[in-house]
Amino acid sequence: MNFDTRALIPLFAVTALALAGCERAPQTQAQSDQPVSGGTLVYATDREPTCLDPHVAGDMPQVFVAQQYLDSLVSMDSNGQIGPWLAKRWEVSDDGLRYTFHLRHDVRFTDGTPFNAAAVKANLDHMANPKTQSSTAGGYIRQYRSTEVLDDYTAVVHLATPYAAFLEVLAQGFLGIQSPTALTRGRDENCESPVGSGPFKVVRWERQNQVVLARNPDYNWAPPTAKHQGPAYLEGIVWKFIQEPSVRFASLQAGEVDVIEALPPESHEAARRNPDLELIIAQRPGNPTNGTFNMRRVPFDDLRVREAFVRSADVEGALKSVYFGEFPRAGGPLSVATPFYSADFEHGQDYDPARAAQLLDQAGWTGRDAEGYRTKDGKRLQATVLIGTRTPPSEQTLWEQVQATTRQVGFDLVMEQMSDVQVTARQAAWDYDIRIGYWNTNTPDVLRIIFSSAFIQPAGVGGYHQNTAGYADAGFDALIESALATQDPEQRRQIYHRAQQQIAAQYLELTTYPQSTRLGIYKTAHGVRLEPSLAVTYLYDAWVTK
Amino acid sequence: MNTVATHRGAADPRRERLAALGRRAAVRLAGGVLVLWAVATLTFFALRLMPGDPVLAILGGASGNPTPETIEATRAEYGLDKPLPVQYVVYLGRLLQGDLGASYSQHMPVTRVLAEQGGATLKLTVAALVLAWLLVLLLTVVTAGRGRLIGGAASLAETLCAALPHFWLGVVLLAVFAFGLRWFPPAGSDGLATLVLPALSLAIPLAGFIAQVTRESLELTLEQPFVLTARTRGLSDFAVRFKHALRHALLPGVSLSGWAIGALISGAVVCEVIFSRKGVGRQLYQAVMTQDLPLVIGISLVVAAGYVLANILVDLLYQWIDPRQQEQNP
Repeated sequence: MNFDTRALIPLFAVTALALAGCERAPQTQAQSDQPVSGGTLVYATDREPTCLDPHVAGDMPQVFVAQQYLDSLVSMDSNGQIGPWLAKRWEVSDDGLRYTFHLRHDVRFTDGTPFNAAAVKANLDHMANPKTQSSTAGGYIRQYRSTEVLDDYTAVVHLATPYAAFLEVLAQGFLGIQSPTALTRGRDENCESPVGSGPFKVVRWERQNQVVLARNPDYNWAPPTAKHQGPAYLEGIVWKFIQEPSVRFASLQAGEVDVIEALPPESHEAARRNPDLELIIAQRPGNPTNGTFNMRRVPFDDLRVREAFVRSADVEGALKSVYFGEFPRAGGPLSVATPFYSADFEHGQDYDPARAAQLLDQAGWTGRDAEGYRTKDGKRLQATVLIGTRTPPSEQTLWEQVQATTRQVGFDLVMEQMSDVQVTARQAAWDYDIRIGYWNTNTPDVLRIIFSSAFIQPAGVGGYHQNTAGYADAGFDALIESALATQDPEQRRQIYHRAQQQIAAQYLELTTYPQSTRLGIYKTAHGVRLEPSLAVTYLYDAWVTK
Repeated sequence: MNTVATHRGAADPRRERLAALGRRAAVRLAGGVLVLWAVATLTFFALRLMPGDPVLAILGGASGNPTPETIEATRAEYGLDKPLPVQYVVYLGRLLQGDLGASYSQHMPVTRVLAEQGGATLKLTVAALVLAWLLVLLLTVVTAGRGRLIGGAASLAETLCAALPHFWLGVVLLAVFAFGLRWFPPAGSDGLATLVLPALSLAIPLAGFIAQVTRESLELTLEQPFVLTARTRGLSDFAVRFKHALRHALLPGVSLSGWAIGALISGAVVCEVIFSRKGVGRQLYQAVMTQDLPLVIGISLVVAAGYVLANILVDLLYQWIDPRQQEQNP
């Protein structure tokens, strides 16, 4: 499960056809390659969004459903290249502060409102407005100042500071473009029935049950990443919420639903062996699942202790036993699917207990107490990891294995269980040694959000700092800021390579496995694929045979 | 003639009885209001004194990255920037006007959430209660006092049923009847078919409880002299059991049903999650997770009100089944 394969960068890390390598019934031969128009696809996912407008708050379930009815200003392909979508082309000023977007003329929202420069302005203003309660979209465009409407189809966006990742975040569904008419209705109404220009539109949302989507018959502005043009094949989509993983998987096996999301890892093998099923497993870009070390207090204020902890944790072994080898190891600060990811740092975290022991000796943790833990000046080598109620049991088991292996070199890892609310409070007070987390985003600029000193300050009263390591290094701040000032891909690659190098060398987090999108697809559904920016389900090209 | 005379002599007994009943209703109603106030207050402080900030829960999500301005605006919008006692008084004032406030996490008024979700839970609990009683009647009337073997087997079955966890039972029912035999849909809230399995998974453990007490009292009743009298009048065995013995034996079970409403609602949380059903149980669970204060209090109040109401109903039912109760305490 090593990541020396650069070929994995196209997001579809594993697209395992159930039939591949199987001698069994060739009945899936019926899976014709000819798309059929009409029919309804039933999709089942685990979590229900709290709002169908992805500008508000901004959690993964929102962007998954919104991808079906919102288009974005720009698109991103599986190589991380930005392409046109609602904007035909754009220019960036030399100082990186002005983005001039030239828009398509032929786009209409499903409420009849035309898409134009004023709509772009209304959307960016909406995301940036504190009243929108946007935490993802608004958080990504902190540099936004204003939009100038040059003419109907030319919009100039002004930024306060250079932000080369701007186009990348614009490609995310979180920043999808909505009808300005609909946006004026107010947040709560817009949450219930957002209006976009996408291939589908929201018909109704039956809470705790399903969202019903219908085809947009006028759709004719698919992104260049799409496999066809014109209206979607599907007449409608029923987007269901089935919380229990086993029930979701059993519903798929029974053909009650056509596609499920968040396929549980324990069902992967069964899904592969079932000739009726197909799997799509794709890694998400961003910062992989990890435990970040709080370097503002003992013992992780010492680089040697941080590396010793990482080296003494047998993550590969734990992944094999907990996730049946279904999740690969992530060794570096960026996951494979992130643009400008470098594979050079995948092995800095390899299991090496001998080196760990040596490092701890050097750091002065030479004593041993009655229970066999290392000590220094009479203090035990202890670290606390916070486990919230929403931490999945499998993740907890993974950390139990980390606990067992780090113990062998003398670490006392304490797993403290508490409510998620308490976790947030403890985080705000810097009262932890390890925080479990991850960050899904399609830009290496995530390193700035989680490691630059600007994000140590809590956002507002009550805490919530993003830099959970407490890493403050003026050199790193300058480096990661400089990446935003250039549009040149080669220059950006070099800067982000150095940034990854610096973070990896500091051992700020124990990375475990990348976040992933895992779909199970029944034989009735075809052409289901993922939109590359965040590895989000995209049903525009899908069709059903029932 | 004598009795009539004494009745006329006293002050109108019917009016007196009605007045007594009115007083009793007023006292019970006042008690109910007190209970609801206590529920609102306790939930309010329990949630607000929990460590952690509801605003961060509202804006949360693992990838949340709100600006300071957004956090401030959200705090101000929900009045969370005011001191706690002020928030409490404001909240109580609105509550008195029947305004349950707006849910933080659902982006709609709490009353609307309740209107959309309440019906499903009501259907589920009523269906479960009715099913449970059907099972109880079937099991006890047929098997009580039929000798040690049958009685013992039935009693064992009841104990087993009472001990079954809703979660496990739900999963087994799903595996057998939804995925194996495919008689019922595995998930959803539309139509009667989706109601059967969740209602059964709630009803079976409850039936176990009620059947245990009902069997005991039925067996005692069947030994009463009036049962023997009925038999000597030539009534069939089933007529004796249904018409005469059952009415006496039901009382403990009926009062247990009042308690059961509470148990059913807590069981509904689990069932609604497993069967992906709409309902206030599942909603309550999510509201607690996101510190959605108005929604948690709103649901708690409605559940508490339902509980109070159910117990008043049980009280009335009790008197209807056993008129002796009325004479004892008019």
